[in-house]
Amino acid sequence: MASTSQKSTSLPGRTALHGKAMTMHPNPNSGKPGLVFCELAHLGKLNMRADKSAGKMVKSITGCMFPPAANTFTSAGERHAVWLGPDEFMIICEAGKDEELASSIQASFGNRHAAVTNITDALAAFHLKGAAVRQVLAKGCALDLHHSSFTSGDAAQTLLSHAAVTIMALADDEFIVICRTSFASYLHDWLLDAALEYGVKFNK
Amino acid sequence: MMLIDCPFCGPRDETEFSCGGEAHIARPLAENKISEAEFADYLFMRDNPKGLFLERWRHSAGCRRWFNMARDTVSHEIVEIYPMGALPKTAAAKSAYSASWRRDTAAEHAAKPARTTVKNAGKARGAK
Ligand SMILES: [Zn+2]
Repeated sequence: MASTSQKSTSLPGRTALHGKAMTMHPNPNSGKPGLVFCELAHLGKLNMRADKSAGKMVKSITGCMFPPAANTFTSAGERHAVWLGPDEFMIICEAGKDEELASSIQASFGNRHAAVTNITDALAAFHLKGAAVRQVLAKGCALDLHHSSFTSGDAAQTLLSHAAVTIMALADDEFIVICRTSFASYLHDWLLDAALEYGVKFNK
Repeated sequence: MMLIDCPFCGPRDETEFSCGGEAHIARPLAENKISEAEFADYLFMRDNPKGLFLERWRHSAGCRRWFNMARDTVSHEIVEIYPMGALPKTAAAKSAYSASWRRDTAAEHAAKPARTTVKNAGKARGAK
């Protein structure tokens, strides 16, 4: 996912964590910081209301298997289809590709009772990686985040320290956390604080 | 703290949900003329029982879907979770539904076209 954030820097417009400086608190027990995180600036996000009959079409446009099962997401490279509800999904795509993708999905809907809405700038995305990532998230989240319970490919909409978030497990030690843009600064500060005991680094 | 089994997401913490109050309050149809006092039963009057209560809940921090829940307001025991628009299936929740004072209100009768028409017709005949 690192490539996503690098590509995004060339896009115009400020993002949620524009004003936050690179921060590093070393691991008090020496070694690597337990959490390294950054903003996935301009990460494309589309809200889609459709049923499983749109499966073939979504697969051909995004590459992602559709629909994903409840509480999971499917992936094709940097694109993801995230389950949000029985007829609601979030399509995540490379920064800068959101408008193009939204229009091709819109066009393919035809007369179908379905809708796609570009919510790229309404939400902010974090990329989190590190040995302590699950312990840090568990401090503010009631879900069972143990790696045997919340496995890679799992997604959930829940509360992270009172902020509404969508959490996606990419790997055992790697997550995407998506929140409302106005909560991004708060979550950035909360993550820095919650991860202090493991060592934490925020990358620009 | 309750663990609520969202019909779509599975068991989640109570903090993710919001309670929408009493379930099964049907809006009187405009074609059925009822008095303002009778309409107030629909608009303002809400039950607050000690014991089993049929409520609407929303998974507000999750899938944002509504569902119905039969919950004991004393023990917090969740007896049944069932879809919007449906009636409960368990014996306890069924009797809570039929025992509600609301079942006998003019507002609730006025929410159903067929039954109300018959009733009004009966009243009209009686008046003659
Ligand atoms: Zn839910």
